[in-house]
Formats: sequence, C-alpha cells, structure tokens
Amino acid sequence: MDFNGLSIDQAPPISALSRFFLTAPLFGILAGFLIFFSDSATLMNRYSTDSIVITHAITIGFLAFIMLGAMTQMLPVLAGAKMPKVELVTKYSYMLLMIGSISMLIGLSLSNTVFNIIAFIGLGSGFLMILTATAISLRSVVNFNATVKAIATSVVFAFFVVLMGLYLLYSYIINDITSSHIIVANIHSVWAIFGFAVILIIGVAFQVLPMFYVAPKFKQFCKRRVVWLISIGLVLWLFLSAFYEEYTLIAKFWIAIFIWAFATTVWLKLSRRRRPVSDVTVWYWRSASIFLTLGSFLWIFDEYFKHEYIVMVAILIGGGFILSIMIGMIYKIIPFLVWFHLNAKGYMSIPTMNEMINKNLGKLQFILFIFSLIGFIFAFYIPQLLQISAISFIISMIVLEYNIIAPMLIYRKILKTKPDFDMSTLS
Amino acid sequence: MSTIKEYLSSDHRRCDEIFATMEEKASKSLEDAKESCEEFIAQSERHFQMEEKVMFVEFETKTGMTQGPTQMMRQEHTQMRALMKDMLGALEDGNKDKFFGFSETLMILMQQHNMKEEQMLYTMAQQHLSADSDRIVAMMDSIIVE
Repeated sequence: MDFNGLSIDQAPPISALSRFFLTAPLFGILAGFLIFFSDSATLMNRYSTDSIVITHAITIGFLAFIMLGAMTQMLPVLAGAKMPKVELVTKYSYMLLMIGSISMLIGLSLSNTVFNIIAFIGLGSGFLMILTATAISLRSVVNFNATVKAIATSVVFAFFVVLMGLYLLYSYIINDITSSHIIVANIHSVWAIFGFAVILIIGVAFQVLPMFYVAPKFKQFCKRRVVWLISIGLVLWLFLSAFYEEYTLIAKFWIAIFIWAFATTVWLKLSRRRRPVSDVTVWYWRSASIFLTLGSFLWIFDEYFKHEYIVMVAILIGGGFILSIMIGMIYKIIPFLVWFHLNAKGYMSIPTMNEMINKNLGKLQFILFIFSLIGFIFAFYIPQLLQISAISFIISMIVLEYNIIAPMLIYRKILKTKPDFDMSTLS
Repeated sequence: MSTIKEYLSSDHRRCDEIFATMEEKASKSLEDAKESCEEFIAQSERHFQMEEKVMFVEFETKTGMTQGPTQMMRQEHTQMRALMKDMLGALEDGNKDKFFGFSETLMILMQQHNMKEEQMLYTMAQQHLSADSDRIVAMMDSIIVE
C-alpha cells in the first residue's frame, strides 16, 4: 500500500490558519463601516454598488477566509487528507486573496479598471491555488464518508462560483454588462451560499455535532442523501435561471425545503445532546438554525414580492447562518490549536481552552452580533436602525478580533518565555 | 463478530457516553462526578491499551510502519493521559472552573483524535488485518489493563 501523503499526524502549522482567522474580522469591521456610511434604500437594491461591495467584503473577506483557513486544519482531521505544501499554499493564496479582495472593493466602489484587473488576477489565482490544493489532497482520502463527500462537493461548487465571479468581474473590466450578467450573478450568489458554504457546513455538522456535543448521530438518509438533494436543486436552479426563469421557484422550493429540514435537525440534535455544557458555540449553532429556517422560508416568500426581500434573505442566511457558524467555529478551533501546538511542543503549563478567551467577551460579541443582524433586518422598515446596527456590528467584530488575538498572544508569550519545557516529550 | 473498525469505533462512543455522564454530574456537584470520572479514565485507559498493546502492534508488524500513524496516536494518548490526570486533580481539589477547562480541552483533543483514527487508521487497519480481524478483536476484548 502507498503511504505517501499519509496524514494522520499533528495538525499543520498554526500560521496556516491564523493568518486567515486574524484577517477575517478586519474585513467585518470594514463592511460595518461601509454599511454605516450607506443607507437602507441603497442597500435594499442587491445590484447597487454598495450592496455588491459590502456583500463581497463579508463573503470573500470574512467567510471565504475563515472557510479556507479552517479547511487546512479540518482536512487532516475530518478527511485524513493533508494539503500539499500547506505552508506555501496558504501563504501565497492568502497574499493573493488579500490583494484581490481589497482591489475588488476599491475597483468596484470607484469603477476603477486597474484595481478591477488586479482583483481579477489576485482573486482568480488565490482561489484557484488553494482550491486546487484542497482538491489534490482529497484524492488521497481512504475513507470517503459523508463528511468528505460534502467537502468535495462544496469544493466543486466553489470552483464554479470562482469562475462565475471572475466572469462577472471581467464584465466590469470591459464595461460590458449584458443580460447574461444578471443570470450569472444569480447562479453565482446561490451556488456560493448553498453550494459552497451551506454544503460545507452540513458536512462538518455530520461529524462535529455528535462528537463535540455528544449529540445523537445524523440519520443515514440525511448523511447519504441531503447533500445530493441540495446539489440537484442547485443544478436545477442553474438550468431554470438560464432557460426558464419563470420556473425558478421550483428549484428554490426544492433547495429551501432540504435546507430547512437540516436547520430543524440541527436544533433537535442540540436539544438532545448529552453534554450539559452550553457555551457561546452552542448559542451560535442554535441561532444559526433559527436564522436558516427564517431565511429559507423568506427566500420562497420573496418570489411573490418581486424579490423585494432578497437582501433580507441574504442577511438571514449569509449573516445569520453562515457567519454565525463560522464565528462559533473560531471559538472552538483557535483555543484548541493554541493548546494543541504548545502541548505538542512540550510545554506543560498551558491555560486550558476555557481560559484562553474571556467567556464574558464571547457572550458580549454574540449579543452585539445578533443585535446587529436583527437591526439590519428591521432597518428595511426603520431606516434609522441601520447606523446603530452597523455600530453594533463593528464593535462585535472588534471584540471578535480581540478574542482571536488573545489566544494567539498566549501562544507567542509561551513560546518566547518557555515557562516549563518538558524535555521528555522530545525523547 | 464486529470488525476492528466497528469494535473500536463503538468503544469510542461508549467512552463518550461515560464522559457526558461525568460532565452532567459535575455540573451539579463535583463530589458526585468522582465515580464517573474514575470510570471514564479507567475505560479510556483500557481503550488506549487495546490499541497500543494489540491493534497497533499487529498493524506495525503487518505494514512495517513503526514511526507512522501509530506513533502519532501514541503521542496523543500521552497528551490525553496527562489531561485526564489534571482533570481528576481539579475534581479532587473541588475547582469547578479548572475541571471544566480540562474537560473541554480533553473533549476536543479526544474527538479530533477519534476522528483521525476512525477516518484513517481503523480503515487502514481493517484493510490490512481483515484476515485476522476476529482474533484481534477477541484479543482486545480480553485485555487485562495494567
């Protein structure tokens, strides 16, 4: 048997992930300021420049950064696959994605072709580099279980999402916005949210909820079918959007019903979990399942109101579900990795996971975040709420950044001061 | 008889259940959790020894890999043993915050360890040792913990 690429070993270097995690809240803060200086009437139009720029500050700057960073750690654990040259790939893809994201935000805001070209190159090469590395690593998987299948499916969708995104950006560069632009934008956004993010989260949930919270296992039907059923709905969405737009409701209904079923399942599993611990990560899973349920139904409902509520749907699903899960994940992953890497290096007096992030600051961050989301939704009816919600969002992102920095500082301090190095671990 | 993978995976779930009971009791009173904590540590130790003394040895003999995945898993067992000791110490000192700090860290370490074993090592072990599966499971089942 070929043991090359065998990856049942220690996690990749902490820097592979930390650079992505430390940057993500900064994009959140930026998005908060952009919302603060915008107005609800402009943001209600999903095709306004403000909406597109803010959406991408969140989806690329926050969500993609967290998902791709987390992937470098999740692949060895969940899939038994290690990313090739992980240090190099994450370093360069991070730099390219940073340059690409910032250029895109500037390029679109100022309608500047040069920045848009830089964004095209940076985002295109950055995404393709890290997605290709992920795809290569998945080839070495020996046990293709439901989680690995979901990760692989989400990576396939991510490739198409990036290609469609590049096409859309190219339209801005050559200043040729055709009718196909809107169709591609529709497919791009739905595939990004459901095909990449939601499917990835579903796959991870299959493992994480039963194992970390000792919740009941997901049923075989759910594990075997739900990703395929959602994928079929997404392909149907592509077909109908391109050729029979008046029938897209069928695909919407199809996708929404399975998404809602998943959201309900998450809620029920958490209610029946064996571990009594109720920390901020459980709150995030809970709130995410509520927001996903509301978002799925509003997405269908929106069809009957000439897409008036589509931005609200994006807030509910993009912010309320995906962002919530990502933040919840950060609160588990970062303290554990700091502990794990220090322990593996032979340090014995390490704070426990619970001591690395101040619990009250975690709770404060959660409350501010949820308050801001609810405020953004009601700002559609009470425009004055937008600014106060934006401030709440900005503060929640600043607190989040602090909550990520704090364990990283513990890591650096222990490495620097070497309090009680245990030589026996090296033997 | 169960396969190596089924047998050890279900033993993971059994230890998880004892762990959950321990935390449940500890959330009410640390005193009441002592018995469950000791049982959890004893059962985890039994699981580690089933792997270290039987399955890993068989796997290493068959594949010739002594410094690969089994070595990494042994290293994580050492990390977990140390955390279990700290957790029991916190429980005996009546320090609830410390106890839950250790239990949370142990839980995440244990679960990522279990995921790696179930996803990779047990699958490989099953492939290589399938002919001897019944014998190996029987040996693990009858292990006397030292």
